[in-house]
Amino acid sequence: MKRFEHFNAKTIDEAILLLEKYDGEAKVIAGGTDLIRVLKDDILPKYPKAIINLKTIANLEYIKEENGVLKIGSLTRLSDVASSSLIKTKYNLLSEACRSVGTPQIRNMGTIGGNLCQDVQCWYYRASKSLGKVFHCLRKGGNVCYAVSGDNRFHSIFGGKGCVAVCPSDVAIALTALDALVKTKGPLGERVFPVSELYKDAALNLGRSEIVTEIQVPEPPPEARQIWIKFRLRNSLDFAIVSVAVMLTLEEGVCKDVRIALGGVAPTPKRLKEVEDFLKGNYINSETAEKAGKMAVAKAFPLSHNAYKIPITESLVKRVILMAKDHRTLT
Amino acid sequence: MDEGKNDLINGARMRMQKIKLTINGKLYELILGYEVQPWHTLAFTLREKLGLTGTKIGCDRGECGACTVLMDGRPILSCLTLTVECDGKNIETIEGLLNSKTGKLHPIQEAFIESGAFQCGFCTPGMIMSAKALLQRNPNPTLEEIREAMSGNLCRCTGYIPIFNAIMKAAEKMRGMT
Repeated sequence: MKRFEHFNAKTIDEAILLLEKYDGEAKVIAGGTDLIRVLKDDILPKYPKAIINLKTIANLEYIKEENGVLKIGSLTRLSDVASSSLIKTKYNLLSEACRSVGTPQIRNMGTIGGNLCQDVQCWYYRASKSLGKVFHCLRKGGNVCYAVSGDNRFHSIFGGKGCVAVCPSDVAIALTALDALVKTKGPLGERVFPVSELYKDAALNLGRSEIVTEIQVPEPPPEARQIWIKFRLRNSLDFAIVSVAVMLTLEEGVCKDVRIALGGVAPTPKRLKEVEDFLKGNYINSETAEKAGKMAVAKAFPLSHNAYKIPITESLVKRVILMAKDHRTLT
Repeated sequence: MDEGKNDLINGARMRMQKIKLTINGKLYELILGYEVQPWHTLAFTLREKLGLTGTKIGCDRGECGACTVLMDGRPILSCLTLTVECDGKNIETIEGLLNSKTGKLHPIQEAFIESGAFQCGFCTPGMIMSAKALLQRNPNPTLEEIREAMSGNLCRCTGYIPIFNAIMKAAEKMRGMT
């Protein structure tokens, strides 16, 4: 790694102040499992002058329930979220998504806030001098997305305004299906907004000196069934090729409420609103589940190398709905 | 006090800042800016500054698990950890497993030898540290629990089966000891 200054922030305000002072030339570090790789490969257009440690801030690591809302401090480690008995019982979708991230070591280091804010895995973006070539792509301030005309087998099948790298966060997909909110703090004060709005084209929807401080999840109805599926080539370490999070509430076989979110197929977590509207009020059986799968990919327009994701998405959507209906889980 | 003077004092404090690490029960104090730089990883410090070369660096990108050490009892990747952020932490490495009084290997190490759980041996220190964390937490793991606990450690020689067998055997040995 190249040289940088290192600061241990004592408070969020101190971290924000330091970010302001360095004006875009500093990065915050939580678990570091993504940032240290980024620094080692030297992929950023501007190598940061300073690294600001958030782990030294007190009171950012917690899991608690307040007035029917689950609150998780952004510095809470993924392994703690995954093993929390409160989250396992009431918010199992989130627990399963956290358990599917990376490896045990990565989950012991990585934080929930860091998972939401990690950089994309696009190989053009991640290419570096040490690997032989640098692509000055859209995400780095250039004007071309090299994946569109290049090898895009792991990229979006639902387009993207420019950058077609997919949202790399599993946690974001689960939180989208749970209708969760993210709380941030910056020089202008605090903001609270839906997790899915944290992602926009070719960047995170965060100000330069804004830090994610808390995740808020509304309590799902006790009868809601939650299922998480992450399709990938290896069962460990790999990022999702396609992931599906579903929360389904049935009343005598009829869908009362449903939320479905897709990951690995678009630059942002993708809520399937049309499919949800179709399912609501309908009997859940293999026919409606199959139709839901077809509807999920009806508007997909794959790139040159990733049409294979369409049948995977279609069958996974069908599968999660039926699994939720039958109370089945993956073993 | 004028600002220049303030900066000087702060600068001096920075120069004298020490990073305190407890490694295998022994306290190390490393001077920041001299023995440790902000961009040094724990894997680098262990190997190049403290001579604890049992911890291996494989991919150096957090993918292979060869650099796994225990921090406050949990397996972590020392190649993705900055040493400056380990101040006050308790680190265990493969060097700490040998019983210094009896000179005997740890039951996990014995079981690895008996089961032939390595060929080239490069992944072994990381494997054993992951296994140690598992057996501390869960003295009687199922095969599935072992597979999950070891899913962050790559081995290109054994095909994993002898490793899982070794951990089963080690669990038995350790249960017998208490």
